[in-house]
Amino acid sequence: MDIKKELLPFILPAILLIIWYLLTDGLHLIPYYILPSPLNVFTAAWTLISNGKLFMHTSSTLVKVFSGIILASAVAIPLGIILGWYETLDRLSSLIISILRPIPPISWIPFSILWFGIGLSSAVFVIFIGCVFSVLVYTIDGVKRTDKVLIEAAQTLGANNWNILTKIVLPSALPYIVSGLKVGVSIALMCTVSAEMIASSRGLGYMILTASQLFQPGTVVVGMIIIGLIGILFDYGFRKAQDRIFW
Amino acid sequence: MAIDIKNVSKSFITKDKDFMALKDVNLHVDDGELICLLGPSGCGKTTLLRMVAGLEKPDEGEIYDRGELVEGPSKERGFIFQQYSLFPWLNVLDNVMFGLNLSGEHSKEENLAAAERYLERVGLADFKYSYPHELSGGMKQRVAIIRSLLNHTPVLLMDEPFSAVDMLNRHTLQEQLIGVWKRFETTILFVTHDVDEAVYLADKIVIMDKRPGRIKDVVEVPLERPRQRESREFLDFQDEVEKLLGVWEP
Repeated sequence: MDIKKELLPFILPAILLIIWYLLTDGLHLIPYYILPSPLNVFTAAWTLISNGKLFMHTSSTLVKVFSGIILASAVAIPLGIILGWYETLDRLSSLIISILRPIPPISWIPFSILWFGIGLSSAVFVIFIGCVFSVLVYTIDGVKRTDKVLIEAAQTLGANNWNILTKIVLPSALPYIVSGLKVGVSIALMCTVSAEMIASSRGLGYMILTASQLFQPGTVVVGMIIIGLIGILFDYGFRKAQDRIFW
Repeated sequence: MAIDIKNVSKSFITKDKDFMALKDVNLHVDDGELICLLGPSGCGKTTLLRMVAGLEKPDEGEIYDRGELVEGPSKERGFIFQQYSLFPWLNVLDNVMFGLNLSGEHSKEENLAAAERYLERVGLADFKYSYPHELSGGMKQRVAIIRSLLNHTPVLLMDEPFSAVDMLNRHTLQEQLIGVWKRFETTILFVTHDVDEAVYLADKIVIMDKRPGRIKDVVEVPLERPRQRESREFLDFQDEVEKLLGVWEP
């Protein structure tokens, strides 16, 4: 019974794979240049693995995603705690955050190229912009939601303001911060691929773009699948983290 | 004298009007006394307790704790809240040691030993690694009380701490409270709206009234400890306190 439940999520992808095979190699209904067959994709993946390009592009994308997230967290978490704690600062900054937040990160690419050139730092900047606001907004929210009774309890146990910030507000906001990071990472992944298509010479986005220009649809699909898998891995990691944090 | 409340008044501004929560309250509490503040809801008993803790400031008058003006919350005046106030991300042991670890007066090992000793005394030794959400309401309040007492608080302020606990457990908790109160020689100010609870616990009962919140009467409880709820004297005195309280408004 349990095994059946475990297998349930794999049924639809398997059916999809079969349909895909039938439409392409199986019954030759769709030509290669419209949709590559599973075999084309597999061959492309094999070539990319054996010549090391897949590893190179994937690791380049991952480095960018991680640098962007770490940079965004380093800015957004402390700033969010300060803004969530001091109401005046929150009011002061709320309008500018609300204006900047909905701007698609991709629209910063022209400036990021101007400021950082083509390459790693330019992409990292776009990813930073992409996830900094969600982490910030979630952190502010988490800090504000700290139960007042817990703060008062800590005060009557001898906690000073610093103790309250580090021992009460931070742990109580942590689940919200993790949720913010989760949202941030999915945005970051999208930004990375888009940024790599324009302002980079490496990474999965770059790989997809060049493959499409060189007419290699199999490679395009390989890139798409790898991005999806990275997304799943991050999601899994965050779910594990949340299981530990949510009491 | 532990706590000295002098001419304290406090009003709150609500949507439509100012409302006088407390007017000209005077009260002296001696060291080691267990005082119950008893009154109907809206009589300002919780507000008074919060002001003693330093969690709220009086509009007029002053409150002194052993001669010193109360200006803010401090570990000198522990507080047990009506709502559960354990830190949900810490297990029972870490909750209980919270104040001790802050002060850094003793080593971690000493704190741990003390915490384990007291958890054992109230029958919570098996739950030391449990998290608050795994505990019953009564257990949570017991942990909260130990958390304050272990912090060597000379004054413990309790705001209807057992009101959410069922009657049987409430009686056990009251009995345990008397036990730890005697052992720690803590001064306790205990807010309740339950006459039975006040008569069981208190050395003195401060009877309060509302509109505006004020002290109506202070009565000494003439009963020997341990008190027997079924005894003639207990029931008679309970009637007396009920009469002093006057008509309850639902």
